[in-house]
Amino acid sequence: MKPLILHGHERSINQIKYNREGDLLFSSSKDNKPNVWYSLNGERLGTFNGHQGVVWCIDVDWTTTKFISGAGDNSCKLWDCETGKEVANIKTMSSVRTCMFSYSANMAVYSTDTAMGQHCQIAILDVRTLDESISHQDPILRIPISGSRVSSILWDNLDETIITGHENGEIIQWDLKVGKKLNSIKEHDQLINDMQWNKDGTMFITASKDHTAKLFDAETLMLLKTYKTERPVNSAAISPIAEHVVLGGGQEAMEVTTTSSRAGKFDSRFFHLVFEEEFARVKGHFGPINSVAFHPDGKSYSSGGEDGYVRVHNFDSSYFEYNFDY
Amino acid sequence: MAKKKNGEKSDESSQNSDSDLYNEDEEPSFSDPEDFVDDISDSELLGDILQQKPKETDGYESVIVVDGVPQVGPNRIEKLKSVINKVFSKFGNLVNEYYPVNTEQNTPLSGTTKGYIFLEYSDPSHALEAVNLTNNFKLDKHHTFQVNLFTDFAKFDDIPEKWEPPQPRPYDPIDNNVSRLDLHYYLLDPDAYDQFAVVTTSGQSVQIWQNTLPEPNIVEERSNWTQTYIKWSPLGTFLATFHKLGIALWAGPSFTQYKKFTHAYVQFIDFSPCEKYLVTYSPQGDPQNPDQKRIIIWDIRSGLEKRSFNPEGPSAWPIFRWSCDDKYFGRVGNDVLSIYETPSFGLLEKKSIKINGIKDFNWSPSDNVVAYWVAEDKDVPASVTLLEIPNRNEIRKKNLFNVADCKIHWQKSGDYLCVKVDRYSRARKERNEMKYSGMYCNFEIFHMREKQVPVDSVEIKEPIQAFAWEPVGTKFAMIHGESPNINVSFYEVKVGLAPNLLKKFEKRACNHLFWSPNGQFIVLAGVGSNGGGSLEFVDTHEFLVMNTTDHFQMSDVEWDPTGRYVFTGVSYWKCKVDTGYWMWSFQGKILKRVNLERFAQILWRPRPPTLLSEKQQKEIKKHLKKYYAQFESKDRMRQSKASKELIEKRAALMEKFQQYREQQIKRWEANKPRRLALRNNVDTDEFFFNVVSISNADAVNFEEEVVEFFIKEEIIPVD
Repeated sequence: MKPLILHGHERSINQIKYNREGDLLFSSSKDNKPNVWYSLNGERLGTFNGHQGVVWCIDVDWTTTKFISGAGDNSCKLWDCETGKEVANIKTMSSVRTCMFSYSANMAVYSTDTAMGQHCQIAILDVRTLDESISHQDPILRIPISGSRVSSILWDNLDETIITGHENGEIIQWDLKVGKKLNSIKEHDQLINDMQWNKDGTMFITASKDHTAKLFDAETLMLLKTYKTERPVNSAAISPIAEHVVLGGGQEAMEVTTTSSRAGKFDSRFFHLVFEEEFARVKGHFGPINSVAFHPDGKSYSSGGEDGYVRVHNFDSSYFEYNFDY
Repeated sequence: MAKKKNGEKSDESSQNSDSDLYNEDEEPSFSDPEDFVDDISDSELLGDILQQKPKETDGYESVIVVDGVPQVGPNRIEKLKSVINKVFSKFGNLVNEYYPVNTEQNTPLSGTTKGYIFLEYSDPSHALEAVNLTNNFKLDKHHTFQVNLFTDFAKFDDIPEKWEPPQPRPYDPIDNNVSRLDLHYYLLDPDAYDQFAVVTTSGQSVQIWQNTLPEPNIVEERSNWTQTYIKWSPLGTFLATFHKLGIALWAGPSFTQYKKFTHAYVQFIDFSPCEKYLVTYSPQGDPQNPDQKRIIIWDIRSGLEKRSFNPEGPSAWPIFRWSCDDKYFGRVGNDVLSIYETPSFGLLEKKSIKINGIKDFNWSPSDNVVAYWVAEDKDVPASVTLLEIPNRNEIRKKNLFNVADCKIHWQKSGDYLCVKVDRYSRARKERNEMKYSGMYCNFEIFHMREKQVPVDSVEIKEPIQAFAWEPVGTKFAMIHGESPNINVSFYEVKVGLAPNLLKKFEKRACNHLFWSPNGQFIVLAGVGSNGGGSLEFVDTHEFLVMNTTDHFQMSDVEWDPTGRYVFTGVSYWKCKVDTGYWMWSFQGKILKRVNLERFAQILWRPRPPTLLSEKQQKEIKKHLKKYYAQFESKDRMRQSKASKELIEKRAALMEKFQQYREQQIKRWEANKPRRLALRNNVDTDEFFFNVVSISNADAVNFEEEVVEFFIKEEIIPVD
């Protein structure tokens, strides 16, 4: 498996995402320009220029027409995906840590940081018509968060609830009709770095600093599986075709210098979804992995790392032949 | 006083017999006969009398009888009393004394004391101490005290005429009564699996594992079992745990507490080789109890303190070194070698051996021979001497010149002794400390089993990093040279021949040598934070490097007692990340990686030496082929059983998961219309979506787009 190495960012990668068809791969980093690439050959299609700071989060809608990004320059921007033009700019009181389109892409959600004297806040936008007016409209709903800040967010596939992962490891389900908490659990001890859906949106996987990734039921928030490692897990994704999950992580960036890369802690690690057993590792990054994503066809996956590279891996045939006995 | 006590005692006993009578006569009769027992409690009825009830300390236990006291007339009795008081009052408070006087008239002795006296202490323990320490006390030339407890007289009076041997108790292997514990239970495992102990600093938990195939089995796990670390006794019988108040030993099938040894703030312990004695060392002592000695030697079986010491000055632990049979132990003092005997714990022949300039010594692991070395002094050269104990016979002495330091390494079987001599070309004195330069090194090999103990020398021009004898066999290995040119050399010693170099590995990254306990195999390891964690497994039969690998930040390497497995560990005491232990086969194949948070210590449980004679062992080796088949079929069975278990486990998990998924999918399918509504009736549930309803105008707006790529081939080397 020879990976494509995408080198377009100047600083560490924060988040990568495929569009629904999987032909495009979007990436954001600590530099201020999200990129979009052809996932097939790794050619860069373009950049989204306009942010003034770290781009923490990105998302693309299901039709690949709208693109949203949240950044450390206290703004959340909406873009025309085709032209790469900034369409709307929403000013916030602190940096935007998470953002996501709803299933229908009629709405988008973003959350802000607890910083600069501001409390964390979730805001829902109406993005049915993508134009400049979004910059000035009032959000449909604001949910102030008094406790631990939101560190990751997911929108269900019926546009009715959102699930937030928090800095203290808590997971909360919100009813958007009334803006109230539906359910909350605390299965993680530390910051939840990432949450991703499985293919049909009935389960989601969390990646936490407490060295584990966990699989939950989307409706009841029931804990299904736990995948254990020795390092903080920064990102986790579920294969759309096989019963596999991939975990990316590693030492915290500040501790990297004290660890040998030989010790193999910057690997993508593959676990069986059901048996929780690790069966493969993919080396390559020379820093922690910050984001992983499966191609929607399940035949390749990508990882973005602290080293600033995005690596697109096409699976070998041996991967598809490998079977667990049971 | 003693008489008065007697009276009291008899009163008490008659009371007792009375009450016994009452009990026997007691019948459910409601009349009020003379033996009526009231239900008013004793304290209400005779509180004033009960106050005078004899207490435990009122017995004769505190009374001692001293015989051999000078007989003096009434005029000198006060003088005698003051002398006696001086001798005996240091053990405790004397509450009573009685000097019997000859009352017979008209004899020369009338009016003089009878030569024995009774003394009473306030506490029985004081009396006991006085007896222990003043019996056979020489007052002067003619008077030696014979001191006994008063109670002993009664005890020895009552010895029955005929002695009956005690009944042997039936043997019960899992009886948990400490005195009857089966201490060697773990050796009876039919598959001879070894045990190991793992300590983690979180909760100070200790786990005992049995290294069963295919997966180790946990035997025992307790949290807060130790407050610092643990130690096995040298034959593996006991597990020692450290506590603020002392040491606890655990043994038997379920690790029952065997003995406790109270020694506050104990930090180090040392077992004698045959596990008879335990030495505990509390370097700081106990601030609440300054009388506590810093070193205590205990008898393990009885739990009694045998002797205690306060060491002078700092010295390397173990301060006391034991002979192989537990008969002697010794330590180095200032120009003396002190050898003590067991079980008396007195100095051998009542005095230390005077050796000017003695620096260090060590016992042979197989004979009662010590090797010691003496530093240079002006005109006297340094020397290494072999001394036989207890007859103090000098077997061999070798003079050495230009010696900076010596290290004594005995081979485990006692066949050879190697003294590593650090030598210098120039020396100068600097503020009372010798500074040496131009260092080089000599190995002096003593052939212990040959007549007159011939000595061979090997000279190495480079600094030595490590030295190790093959535990069984005739080879030794050393690491020499300076980073980055570190070399490992193997030498062999043979009868009548000088050691010859067998093999030299050049440019190796290692700083420690770990021989297999059965010899032949060795692990070259880079231990510690600057060791890099490199591991090299070498078969020294043909000097084949079986595997080169590493365990980053590794701090420990531990061979199992049979030489089949090796543990490498990263201890939390040394390194805070990636702690855990890995198990390797002796060939260097990784068997298991256990990453355990706050893992601190791993120790294999030692085994006593084999009981098979050398001939029997040879016989087994000769017919090894015969056993192979057995073992292999056993292994296969275990393997298939294990994989069967795993597969069953997986099948169960999968079934459960699939049941759960079915419900989920039902729910999901039920929601399909709502999803379609949200996405303009485009079915995106499958990756290649299709348009469900043509009637919706939006949905037909799809057209295929052809994207052309430049395909440029670029070769990027990927590891």
